[in-house]
Amino acid sequence: MATESQDIETVTTNVATGQPDNKTRRYDRQLRLWAATGQNALESSRVLAIGATATATSVLKNLVLPGIGHFTVLDHRTVTPEDAGNNFFFEGQKSIGKRRADEAVRLLGELNDSVEGKADQANIEEVLSNNPEYLLQFNLVIAHNLDAVLLDKLAKFLWSDPSYPTLMVVRSAGFLAEFFIQFHEHTVIESHSEAMPSLRIDKPFPELYEHAMSLDLDNMDPMDHAHIPYVVILIRALEDWKKAHGGNPPKTYAEKQQFKKGIQAMKKKHDEENFDEAEAQAYRAWTETTVPSEISSLFQDPALSSLSPSSPPFFHLLSALHKFTLQPPHTLPLTSTLPDMRSDTKNYIHLQTLYKRRAEEEKKVFKSFISKDVQIDEELVDSFVKNAHAILVMRGKRWGEFDEDSAALANSLVISPRETATHLALSANSSQSLKSAAPPTAESLKAQVQSIVGSGVELPEEQLDAAVGEVARAPTSDLPNVAAFLGGMVAQEAIKMITKQYVPQKGYLVIDMIDMWTGPTGL
Amino acid sequence: MLASVNGNSSSSDWPGRYYHVDQVLDTPGPRTDPSFLAGDGVKDFLRNQCKILVIGAGGLGCEILANLALSGFKDIHVIDMDTIDISNLNRQFLFRPKDVGKPKAIVAAEFVMNRVPGVKVTPYYGKIQDKDEEYYMQFNLVICGLDSVEARRWINATLVNMVDPENPESLKPLIDGGTEGFKGQARVILPTITSCYECSLDMLNKQTAFPICTIANTPRLPEHCIEWASVLEWPRVFKDKKMDTDDPEHINWLYITALKRAKEFNIEGVTWSLTQGVVKNIIPAIASTNAIIAASCCNEAFKIATSSAAYLNNYFMLIGTEGVYSYTFEHEKRDDCPVCGGQTMDITISKDWTVDRLIEMLVERQDIQIKKPSLSTPTKQIYFQAPPQLEEATRPNLEKKVSELVPDGGEMTITATTLPFSLSLRVKYA
Repeated sequence: MATESQDIETVTTNVATGQPDNKTRRYDRQLRLWAATGQNALESSRVLAIGATATATSVLKNLVLPGIGHFTVLDHRTVTPEDAGNNFFFEGQKSIGKRRADEAVRLLGELNDSVEGKADQANIEEVLSNNPEYLLQFNLVIAHNLDAVLLDKLAKFLWSDPSYPTLMVVRSAGFLAEFFIQFHEHTVIESHSEAMPSLRIDKPFPELYEHAMSLDLDNMDPMDHAHIPYVVILIRALEDWKKAHGGNPPKTYAEKQQFKKGIQAMKKKHDEENFDEAEAQAYRAWTETTVPSEISSLFQDPALSSLSPSSPPFFHLLSALHKFTLQPPHTLPLTSTLPDMRSDTKNYIHLQTLYKRRAEEEKKVFKSFISKDVQIDEELVDSFVKNAHAILVMRGKRWGEFDEDSAALANSLVISPRETATHLALSANSSQSLKSAAPPTAESLKAQVQSIVGSGVELPEEQLDAAVGEVARAPTSDLPNVAAFLGGMVAQEAIKMITKQYVPQKGYLVIDMIDMWTGPTGL
Repeated sequence: MLASVNGNSSSSDWPGRYYHVDQVLDTPGPRTDPSFLAGDGVKDFLRNQCKILVIGAGGLGCEILANLALSGFKDIHVIDMDTIDISNLNRQFLFRPKDVGKPKAIVAAEFVMNRVPGVKVTPYYGKIQDKDEEYYMQFNLVICGLDSVEARRWINATLVNMVDPENPESLKPLIDGGTEGFKGQARVILPTITSCYECSLDMLNKQTAFPICTIANTPRLPEHCIEWASVLEWPRVFKDKKMDTDDPEHINWLYITALKRAKEFNIEGVTWSLTQGVVKNIIPAIASTNAIIAASCCNEAFKIATSSAAYLNNYFMLIGTEGVYSYTFEHEKRDDCPVCGGQTMDITISKDWTVDRLIEMLVERQDIQIKKPSLSTPTKQIYFQAPPQLEEATRPNLEKKVSELVPDGGEMTITATTLPFSLSLRVKYA
């Protein structure tokens, strides 16, 4: 035993270890989702929460834990007995009478030493009137159940310039809630899509084609035959098929079945699993490798026609991609990642090397199309090429636009009645609280909804009754579980906006925690 | 027993404390069941009588405890067998760096009691299997935030077994949550009435298992090299010395060993982090997803305890990678569920299958997944994993054909020490 444990020590002290530092260990479980690039983006982000409600502190908690750079809580009020009862970031009675911003920042700050927190006692109303530029020091602004007039003012200000911070509007009443992300433009390279890039089996590059055709399948050692990767099998099968079918790949259902049978017939022994795998992957042979329509539609993006050296790097890369696809073979740059497949080490690594080399060459070609007037980080180029099949450009809307568009509302009420009815019930709740101090009733909310959508629009009675009734039941209730749920949802979307990874939600995401559903409207 | 634990917990309440929660407890909504008695009765039950058990004080557990306390549950018990690790701190928000190494259940309970006045949280630092039916019988509700399939199956089967049709109190609603990265699910199980955890076993993601011949002979991926280091090289070099995946020295040895093999085969991509991920089977975990799922679970607990709204029937699934996608549906009960179905499961196997081959199937089949099963028929023992003498005595049967031991249409009972139920199989031969 003694010698064995010594073994470990000798090995570990002699070789430089890759053992992570404390920070990497702390963030390990999230780095596996968004890697160092995402973490760096988080760490340089600055987030503002307007109002230390239970929902707002829940959102902040889920941003402080993964390590955003800075957060400010803007709140001029003091902690009431009601606040002290439903917010985990107040200390019960001890916090009553103290400043909400101070208490929240103190208790949120404890969650992560590396995050900077700031309490600001300014009144948002005054900030918006006297010094709205204050908001520009942040990347992201979160407003929960903010007074409708102030919210409108805030949203319009932040919308007034595309470079201004993203706004996340959150509203809730009892078991019902929604959130909306206001942004002009959001581009994503690392969408973490599950879509697989093409392996170009139908359009093999010369080295791949030569390799596939050079193998002598008939006289091969049986062991080697059982280790031919499916990529090679499919290239061969397709080549044979095309010879017999006037140069065409299998097209009809019957032809595709026949093609699969042909693959099975290539087996030497019935248990050659690599051929079964080739059959399962046969669609890769008959699916023509082209530029996916979601990507080619991006080439029409207005940002490309007005490209200048000051345009974001994403659009310079998109422009280079467009030029790349105009060249034969009219595809996206080749992927350098080969999925695992039944094979032996030698065959697989050889194939992998062919893909890697070719991908490198195509990347060089891609780079030659990047405007010489811009400097783009090498890693960003690599990432763009690697994810070229799944990049995204999203364009958002201004908060409030939906409620001003009677036709869009009428349409949404038909397509997604429960989501739209719930959204409108929440809209009615916030606009009604302005008009009267009396609590809203189901009837008054319904009338308000009708006035938002316009008198001619028919409302889905069942869904609307369900929604306005719940809002009237608890119009000012920030329920702990709903706050916690929103805290998770809004933080998740904030992380996607900040890291520019994964795909954020468009429009309003509406939540009903009675029947426990979520769904979008106003897309 | 109940009274002494509870005391008069409302003494710490202050006017306005439950302003938010009371809005939904003082008035029914349009969809609330008519049996809901708004007002003091339901508040008294929630705050002075209801006793709830939380299983797990980790990513979900921390969130669950905080939510329950704020919702007004005052008698909360929590079980967890783990201690705090530095990698927990990115989401398990009741823990601080100074708590690393301490028991999760105890630290979490103390934190919540300090933060939310008048709430009593009773921790148990240990395994759920340490407790008996009498213990579980004292609770009105059970919420699970676990990362282990085995533990979930155990508590699920235990709660199903506890149901006595003569005694409605014996039916304990089980609310179960789980997360993986941006994905998660929450569900409500009414033991014997709705589908249970075991009914849905086939919904679990299949774990990637690499064939041993790939690992030994034809590695292609960095993962294959890591598996080689941990599955083959470690026991060869260190014999009986147990690998401790929490020991960085051990992970380092595996990393270096895997790296050498990868170099030898020209395989790229072996890193420390990947090595740790593969050998510990690490699942990505973030605060936000845990918050969503824990809130869903606690919302159901609140609705069940108060009847203020209908509870989930019975499964909520969330995928947060591409926008927010969720799906709410009723998962169906399985008649041949070994825990709650009561019907014998029919399987058809080849006449040539050995007992060993059958065991392999029992381990692998998605809807069975019984590790280390013991097999018997009403008249004889076929194979027993333990005790050692019995294992030795029944071992020769492993090579025999099942068809020589069990007649066509004959029944077989499968048990495992880790699972508090047995599976009845009716075997037919193809």
